[in-house]
Amino acid sequence: MSAPSITVEAGRRGLKSSPGPLRRLVAKAPVYLFLTFGAVFALVPFIWMVSTALKTPGQLFRFPPEWIPNPVAWSNFGEAWNALPFGAMVLNSVFVTTLAMIGELASAAVVAYGFARFHFRFRNVFFLLMLSSMMLPWVVTLIPGFLIWKQFGLINTFDPLTVGALFAWGPFYVFLLRQFFLGVSKDIEEAAVVDGANAMQVLWFVMLPLVRPVLLAVAVLSFQGNWNNFKGALIYLQEPLTRFTLPLGLQFFQASISNEAPRWHLMMAMSLLMVIPVVILFFLAQRQFIEGIQLGGVKG
Amino acid sequence: MPVFGWYAETLVRYVIVAVAIVVVMLLTYRGLRAAGVRREAATGFALIIPWFLGFLIWNLFPVVASLYLSLTDYNILQAPNIVGLANYQQLAEDAQFWASLRLTMAYSAITVPLGLILSLFAATLLNQGVRGVGLWRTLYYLPAILPAFVTALLWRLMLLPTRTGLVNSATEPVWSLFGDTPPRWFLDPGTVLWGFVIMSFWGVFGANTVIMLAGLKNIPKDLYEAADVDGAGLRAKFRHITVPQLTPTLFYLLVMGIIAGIQVFDQGLFVRVPRENFLNVYLYQQGFTFFHMGYASAIAWVMLVIILVLTLAVFRSSSAWVYYEGEVKR
Amino acid sequence: MSTRFTRLAALVAALSLAIAACGGSQASNPPGGSAPASGVASQPPGEKVTFRMTTWAGEGEAKELQELVLDKINAAQSEYEIVHEAAPADYYTKIQTALAGGTGADFLWLSQEYVAGYASRGALLDLTEVLKTVDAPTAKVEGYFPKVMNTAVYQDKVYGLPWISQPVVLYYNPALFDAAGIAYPDDTWDWAKFAETAKALTKDDQYGFSANGWPPLHMFIWQAGGEVISEDLASSPIDSPEAIAGAEFYKSLIFNGDCCPTEDVLLEQGFSEMFKAGKVAMFMGGASDTFESADGVALDIRAAVPPKGPKSRTTFAWTGSTVVNAKVANPDLAAKALVALTDGIHRWKIVSPLTELANAEVITASFPEKWRAQKGQQVDAIIAATQDMRSFNVIPRQQEWDDLFWREFQDKLYHDQGTAADLAKAARPKLEELLP
Repeated sequence: MSAPSITVEAGRRGLKSSPGPLRRLVAKAPVYLFLTFGAVFALVPFIWMVSTALKTPGQLFRFPPEWIPNPVAWSNFGEAWNALPFGAMVLNSVFVTTLAMIGELASAAVVAYGFARFHFRFRNVFFLLMLSSMMLPWVVTLIPGFLIWKQFGLINTFDPLTVGALFAWGPFYVFLLRQFFLGVSKDIEEAAVVDGANAMQVLWFVMLPLVRPVLLAVAVLSFQGNWNNFKGALIYLQEPLTRFTLPLGLQFFQASISNEAPRWHLMMAMSLLMVIPVVILFFLAQRQFIEGIQLGGVKG
Repeated sequence: MPVFGWYAETLVRYVIVAVAIVVVMLLTYRGLRAAGVRREAATGFALIIPWFLGFLIWNLFPVVASLYLSLTDYNILQAPNIVGLANYQQLAEDAQFWASLRLTMAYSAITVPLGLILSLFAATLLNQGVRGVGLWRTLYYLPAILPAFVTALLWRLMLLPTRTGLVNSATEPVWSLFGDTPPRWFLDPGTVLWGFVIMSFWGVFGANTVIMLAGLKNIPKDLYEAADVDGAGLRAKFRHITVPQLTPTLFYLLVMGIIAGIQVFDQGLFVRVPRENFLNVYLYQQGFTFFHMGYASAIAWVMLVIILVLTLAVFRSSSAWVYYEGEVKR
Repeated sequence: MSTRFTRLAALVAALSLAIAACGGSQASNPPGGSAPASGVASQPPGEKVTFRMTTWAGEGEAKELQELVLDKINAAQSEYEIVHEAAPADYYTKIQTALAGGTGADFLWLSQEYVAGYASRGALLDLTEVLKTVDAPTAKVEGYFPKVMNTAVYQDKVYGLPWISQPVVLYYNPALFDAAGIAYPDDTWDWAKFAETAKALTKDDQYGFSANGWPPLHMFIWQAGGEVISEDLASSPIDSPEAIAGAEFYKSLIFNGDCCPTEDVLLEQGFSEMFKAGKVAMFMGGASDTFESADGVALDIRAAVPPKGPKSRTTFAWTGSTVVNAKVANPDLAAKALVALTDGIHRWKIVSPLTELANAEVITASFPEKWRAQKGQQVDAIIAATQDMRSFNVIPRQQEWDDLFWREFQDKLYHDQGTAADLAKAARPKLEELLP
């Protein structure tokens, strides 16, 4: 299918009259309706979270549930922050997330490119092998994995949470990027190779820019996954408290087996603080989703 | 304050490992080329070295170990003793295993396709040029980043067995046709599955929609413009442009959905009451609560085989319905 | 080209050496007291030995443990130091992974259902002999309430020291009693009186009592003279007439709208929350439970001994023990440290399982200032409850047994899927398969 040139397109469009603003709004009304419906759904837990974060312990479980606490306990944030060395935990989380993200993105991009664009023997076998590593439930791989890190002598360090990322430990990102790389037309790539670019240069200068939407998606998901990584922190970090990351620190507010009551209000306050960076990152990243890919007349 | 020495130590090893990986990649390329392998294959293999090394170090041992352990009576605290296929035989006769398997497969069969449709719908909505779409998108993503215990409480409120439960009060016109008692969700074996299905709708607010959106955004605009020229309507554009262009994304989400659906775990922990639970939860209980890690490993391998078979089936079928722009033969 | 290659090869060689060096050394462990990866505290002689202790303590509890117990112990002597590693979530997953990997701590908290399981699988140190070398009341096994000490004993060997035994007492809301003109619970109450009062106090959206599987059914079976697991661990006589009597009494209360909230209402309004909100007149809780209002003020809640059953007034006491890792390097010193640790916790937690410490002054003093008044009113009942408190008879496969007992008996009984007698008869053989 050949695409007509852009200029002809613009010309033809200009001849039709575009609908007025009111008509556009009415046409979009069902969109707004559905969006709102979904958003209400989405907001409920968040509102509940904010509400709980501002309650005193006695107000927590009133029935019927109170959405706006009275009085509002702003002090919860301070109390939660001071209950544990959260300053240290934030720094730890930032450190771990940054290293893991970079490792994940870089290795996933490289490996995905290899799987997508190059034919070599056993390629499909390797690909399935990679996928199958996601198919064994974590319960049975937890202890063997722990034993491996124990052999390296790296228990109670940040390494299990970061260094592993360099090995494309997230097959889902590799798989996803591979899908999008497969969708890139070969012409541009071949042009670059003819110009003398090696594989890495093609990847960096040609392929990655062409799949920017998914790259952003992967960046956001990777950040979120590592920022909230609880299980890894639980198993590999022992002490002291100042070594813990945020998701682990948060667990200190929950109910103890000794029947000590959970400190929901502090837990929610701290969770809110933890959630904010992810929200900001997402908001910034999704702005890039506004303009899609414009390939002009090259495709097809 | 954290000891910055901790960061330094990890950072040093991180950099060393990164450099080592690159070195191994280069050496592999050189080595393969020297062995007469053609350029494309040598490059390709060199590029996947990071994964391959990781596989050898981090995946091979756990996979082999878990297979071995499935043939033992490993209880975590003591050395394992081989018991041959006893675990697998026990599996075959374990009513709880079969009940969990049924629930898990039914759950996956319903929620995976449903999730795809809902995500596509949501992503399409979020792809419209409405005002403040950035805000909408962020709102829709918010639930995915909330910690699990927050959403757990949400579902407690939503799926209460009484008429005050949010879902029940919203759907009162529907169930009141069938009698006076609202669905009791997790308290009633007949509605447990549907309770979990409703909970799975929550997945719309999250990664799947974001990925679907990325997929939509990746469709070149001029395809739509050309269709406009030809006078195509919304439905035709959707059928002939959007969906085919989206098939790589759909394929990804389908495979990942199967892999994740059969291993569903967190939802099972949210609810305090169900009498039967998901396979992965049963597995966890057997392994870590009952000290039957050998048996749990056998269950895990059965799960792996099931997932692998289904994934292979999807892969086989993919040549029939997945369209990769870049693989178009000239 | 070849120079580049040689340089690369040299780099690789250097890096491999570096990685090997890093992996082998202990440099990754922080200075000052973290035991080497094998979990064994081995230090040059003359230096302080470090013992690692893992507990499930959350934020408040961990702070108290550190300040009220560990800091004092560590300051009072120079032979050893106890370091606390908190694991407030997924506790048993974490410690099992650590034990499997050889990085398990020296001291662990285990709740009563787990000691037999860990001991029978060789993870714990046998303390029977080594405790005798420590000269302190806390080291004397006889000084503990016998039925509480039992939970830390397996095959006649001592594997841990209990640090708490929380008896169940009957809490009640005096205001609701006053409003109905009914006399407060006292030690003459029996089951019949209890049930009758619960019914009398149930009207509008107020209930006389509340149960949802807590308090444990076991307590009522014991009070009727029955057992769920016999003391010799050889049988599960849940179908004996006494056990049936206990089960039927419990069934007559739980979810029965005449005296207790139904399951639906409990899910809606929360089990303990309803009591705190003044919607339930009587509540069975642990001795260290505290009750506060929405504004954080201690409520006027009093306590009485639980009503007596046909045969006894036995109450359930939740028990936790500190156990020692079988691989600990210096068992003698570890025993000493364990005793000091347990002694410290006895003075912090309520109720101490040592008979001599289960008195009014110790109990009231253990509570923070805010709760002294509330607990002061309750202390007599608490002491009375300790006279006949006990915990479970525990088998190595206790978790499986508990799961089966719930699924095949209790769950079905409470949801009207059979009579107590029929369900017990059907469940008993399955339960007995799990006995040692």
